[in-house]
Amino acid sequence: MDTDTLNTLVTGAIWRAEELESRRISSAAAWAEVSSLEEELATAHPVSAGQGRIARRGAVRAALKSGDYKRAYSLADRYLGEDGAPESLKTGLREILEEYTQPIAGRFPYASTHHTLREAQGLADHLRAVGAFGLAA
Amino acid sequence: MLLANAARYLAKRGKGVVALDFDFEAPGLHYKFDEVRELAGGVVPYLIATAEGSTSAPPFDDHMISVPVSTAAGGWVRLMPAGPAPGRRYWAALKELGERLRLTDLSGRGFMALLDLQARIADELRPDYLLIDARTGVTELGGLATTVLADTVVCMFVANQESLDGTLAVVEALKSTPRLTIQEPIRVVPVLSRTTKVLSTDPRFWPGISRLLALAEGCERPSINMPWALPYDDELGPIEKLIGIGRHDRESPLRDAYLKLFQELFPGT
Repeated sequence: MDTDTLNTLVTGAIWRAEELESRRISSAAAWAEVSSLEEELATAHPVSAGQGRIARRGAVRAALKSGDYKRAYSLADRYLGEDGAPESLKTGLREILEEYTQPIAGRFPYASTHHTLREAQGLADHLRAVGAFGLAA
Repeated sequence: MLLANAARYLAKRGKGVVALDFDFEAPGLHYKFDEVRELAGGVVPYLIATAEGSTSAPPFDDHMISVPVSTAAGGWVRLMPAGPAPGRRYWAALKELGERLRLTDLSGRGFMALLDLQARIADELRPDYLLIDARTGVTELGGLATTVLADTVVCMFVANQESLDGTLAVVEALKSTPRLTIQEPIRVVPVLSRTTKVLSTDPRFWPGISRLLALAEGCERPSINMPWALPYDDELGPIEKLIGIGRHDRESPLRDAYLKLFQELFPGT
């Protein structure tokens, strides 16, 4: 798919997700679509290009807004590890993650001094996948 | 009973102990301490109050009881029962907890609430030991109490194939469950309880024991051929009474077995 088409699609997807969100209608699936399209744009544009950096930040932010923390961390890890990724992008990605996770982690002050929210989210994902004691794995 | 006896054993040796009843479906740890008064709070009400997180957590005194321990060694026991069981309020609270504490919520809130309780106990009460009574059988919270919160898991089983097979499945799962970054690999200690002179003659039983011990040690061949065993006591067994765990209490095979097990579980005591 060419980048002009992708840009059109992602613009429409963002508009739809924001409209659903403003009307308090479930928007998780819409934001997941935004994240997927932004990821495609990120693949099409190098990290050295402005559009590439915008798409990378957009993919992570939209994954978080869809509630898919696992995907958000996976994307962020990938983009943070890319050759040539500028410090400004890395800082921006970390700030996006912090913006979404700090409100949750901040409500559990004791746990937050010993564990990261990412670990707790990993446990939740593991429990969902394999059940109690991991017996359903 | 093992947990209650362990708590008293440690306190009499100068250790600070927090005991949690995580057996929400069959709450009963508070019965094991004769001197304990009824409490409106406990683990279930506490987790309901903190399931979504809180900037000011409820006071521990509303949810914990100090257990009287006669010792000059400076040890102490604080018990957090499951809740005001067996009254109707408790079962209503347990139902509410199931709705509020969503452990599979991918935001991680459910797990953070559990980890927050454990961390707060460590930071504020600073016990030498945190003992958690978890549910026999396979439940989400029982699984979490063992796989996530524990460093050492004592797996009690009895001498029949049903109990052994269930314990084998759980120990296999425990050994393969991912640990938190700050945790050491989990230690598993199988304990055969209520043993008598006549043990199982089922030909499947003893190979299963060997497999269980190998799993617990994390090796092909276990270094021992018999798990820790707590013999059935005619006098103490039926009434489930705390045994005298001090140095001057009545000797019995059960008491001796407890003491040896505790020396293994709590080195240096």
